Amino acid sequence: MPALALQHVKKVFGHATNEVTVLNDINFEAASGEVSLVIGPSGSGKSTFLTIAGGIQTPTSGSVVVQGQALNALSGKDRDALRLNRIGFVLQAYNLVPYLTVRDQFTLVDRVKPADNLNESALRHLLEQLGIAALIDQYPAELSGGQTQRVAIARALYQNPDIVLADEPTAALDSARVKVVGQLLHDLAKTHNKAIVVVTHDLRLQEFADRTYAIMDGQMTLN
Amino acid sequence: MFLALREIRHEKLRYGLIIGMIVLVSYLVFILSGLAYGLAQQNTQAISSWRVDKIALNKDANDSLSQSVITKQDADKVKLTEHEAYLGQTGVVAKAKGQAKLSAQFLGIDRTQLIYRRLRVTAGHKPTKANQILVDDSFQDNGYRLGDKVTLNAADGQYRIVGFTHNAKLSVAPVIYGSLGTWRTLSHLTADFQASGIVSTQTNFKAKGLSTLSMNKFINKLPGYSAQNTTFSFMIGFLMVIAMVVIAVFLYILTMQKLPNYAVLRAQGIPAKVLVTTTVTQALLLVIAGLVIGAGLTLATVLTVPTGVPMSFNLPLLSAATGGILLTGVVGALIPVKVILNVDPVSVMGG
Ligand SMILES: Nc1ncnc2c1ncn2[C@@H]1O[C@H](COP(=O)(O)OP(=O)(O)O)[C@@H](O)[C@H]1O
Ligand SMILES: [Mg+2]
Repeated sequence: MPALALQHVKKVFGHATNEVTVLNDINFEAASGEVSLVIGPSGSGKSTFLTIAGGIQTPTSGSVVVQGQALNALSGKDRDALRLNRIGFVLQAYNLVPYLTVRDQFTLVDRVKPADNLNESALRHLLEQLGIAALIDQYPAELSGGQTQRVAIARALYQNPDIVLADEPTAALDSARVKVVGQLLHDLAKTHNKAIVVVTHDLRLQEFADRTYAIMDGQMTLN
Repeated sequence: MFLALREIRHEKLRYGLIIGMIVLVSYLVFILSGLAYGLAQQNTQAISSWRVDKIALNKDANDSLSQSVITKQDADKVKLTEHEAYLGQTGVVAKAKGQAKLSAQFLGIDRTQLIYRRLRVTAGHKPTKANQILVDDSFQDNGYRLGDKVTLNAADGQYRIVGFTHNAKLSVAPVIYGSLGTWRTLSHLTADFQASGIVSTQTNFKAKGLSTLSMNKFINKLPGYSAQNTTFSFMIGFLMVIAMVVIAVFLYILTMQKLPNYAVLRAQGIPAKVLVTTTVTQALLLVIAGLVIGAGLTLATVLTVPTGVPMSFNLPLLSAATGGILLTGVVGALIPVKVILNVDPVSVMGG
């Protein structure tokens, strides 16, 4: 059973004359223990794909199956719980809570999901790997784009999710950091058996992927 | 609680201003209701201190104590028990040597009867002779002292202040308690007249030949009393409604401004319930902080305001105002709950 599967997913925005089909009959599977990379140019539907895969958006038709559960069969509450407990999102807009320090971004996760998060030392290790341990008392507004991006990655991984969905996680990073993040995601898949899905236009990540898909004009193809 | 507190801590100015607004609004409500209630009390404090339920007046007095006289003949038809007392009332101007004139209500009472027994003396003693008087302690605030000799109206004769009593006001004037004989003298009445009215603690008291009414009805017929109360009730009512609408609108705007943050939290998988609880908790914290500071300010005002300003607080009234403000705070924050529940995480995803 794949950790995450999209079957015949179609997404149409707008109505009538300004109707745009952003995703057209997408079939996709991500397995545990693997990094799946989806590469496509800007506007190709990567973010739309990822948010549908994570249950933040619903597809116009087709289905999303997470660990054998079809998302459209779940109530809003159950979908929230699944998202909180099983899926870690690294969003393109970083999405940190502006009034929480870096430390409190993690505390918030503890508050709403008391169990199964990283322990103290694992968190410290993660922050050191990402080079953000010194930023623990800063507010998001005090961080650079690259720092924010790495905090967002740490926040998603802190939840210790089975599935990690990352949207352009390296857009603001230099090559050295790209390698760190790529290696980190790769190790996570291998040693913790997580399913990692990264959508990006950053070809530098290719060397860390087990599979690479291309997305273009609403179609997805396996390379 | 965590999110609510962290957000307040991070945005001190914004939340400080909102608390400040709630402080001012609640302060205004508290002070105004205190003044209104204080004034209402000054109409009736003396009457309340007797703890009586009925009053009998002359049939033609139109329920007004100052218009009523009861002849000895009529009075004799009513058998007084220990639960009843004669009461003679007349307006006077008091004057002592070297002191300012004071307009007052003279109340003649019988030393053997109920009202006299129930008087509480704060200094000195109750009158034991016809030329002795017991006066409201606002006389003291105006410089009058125990032992002072006081003339009442232009009448000959002097009366000695032998005691002070607290909160003795009738129709917003300080009360002077003396004998029924003095009342007759001041009212230019002969011994054919007994009193202005008869009060009783018995709810079923009924005086033959006289008009007997309940104290509530009597109080409402005090000159100006109900007009005053209606005016103040409407003022406070409008004030409350407007204050509540203002607070609700502010908290509504506050919540609406937070929607982008809520979208972030939703995208992170934070359940919608947590967001709603956070919103309500925060609204409650803000309103409670505002109310507590407002109450503190009110207390400080009460302690510094001159004693002559009537201000007094009524617990049910205050609780109702406080409860109303709390409730609207929560309602205001919750009006957009549907918007919170439906906030679209995708809206903050970025290209
Ligand atoms: N909510 C929306 N309403 C209408 N069009 C949208 C919406 N979201 C995305 N699109 C369109 O879908 C296309 C793909 O967007 P997106 O998935 O963000 O692409 P990418 O992340 O690959 O840059 C774009 O043309 C975008 O304008
Ligand atoms: Mg995108």
